Amino acid sequence: MEDDDGVFKALADPSRRLLLDRLLERDGRTLRELESQLEMTRFGVMKHLRVLEEAGLVVSRKVGRTRLHHLNPVPIQQIHDRWLDKYTARRAAALTELKTELEGR
Amino acid sequence: MTTMTERETQTTQVYQVFIRATPEAIWEAITKPDFTARYFYGARIETTPERRVSHGPDGSVWGDDKVEEYEPPRRLVHSWVSSYDPELADEEPSRVTWEIEPAEGGVSRLTVVHDRLEGAAKTAEHVSGAGWMMVLSGLKTLVETGQPLTAH
Repeated sequence: MEDDDGVFKALADPSRRLLLDRLLERDGRTLRELESQLEMTRFGVMKHLRVLEEAGLVVSRKVGRTRLHHLNPVPIQQIHDRWLDKYTARRAAALTELKTELEGR
Repeated sequence: MTTMTERETQTTQVYQVFIRATPEAIWEAITKPDFTARYFYGARIETTPERRVSHGPDGSVWGDDKVEEYEPPRRLVHSWVSSYDPELADEEPSRVTWEIEPAEGGVSRLTVVHDRLEGAAKTAEHVSGAGWMMVLSGLKTLVETGQPLTAH
């Protein structure tokens, strides 16, 4: 499986996107906190968190006796790099060409 | 159905990336200046068991931090002061932890935790999101392909 498959699969569900939104507002949250923010059972939240963790979009860490969940933006950055880098590079090149042309007049 | 989100700056930031390489190769990319220069905003960063010293492309000191834990090729912990910016340099030191764990199929998991940012609000804002992401994304590309990301 390609790395990206898991990311797209994880993002294809509105509840999981909502979980990521909550973590974007403030991350390092416990399961209990996330549960209280969503109309979802504890089991549902756990299930979705697991998919997000497998995709690398959420990283959980144990701090003392609690487990805190963090949003990890790196896999989304990699999707950006894969398809959008080319366009930003091209735009920069186009601007340089324009500059050269204008200055050459 | 987009929800507007107000983002708080985090005093503990966690970034993780899977890299198709051995922990040893990743350790080398993190601690050797010839590698860091190709993905860490051009900084040549030398890490010894005592200190982590970073020089910008112009030779100026971007960081000189104490190494707290040095366990090749699995774990590196050092303090962080953003000496590259006078305003950030005055803030309290924070801490960066690099963890490298072997995963399945020749892949390693690299986790960076930047924490103890309570006394460094501007640094926290500065490094959050794109700051660390670009570093990790570039590190992955470099280690996997031997090429740095295209320079913009």
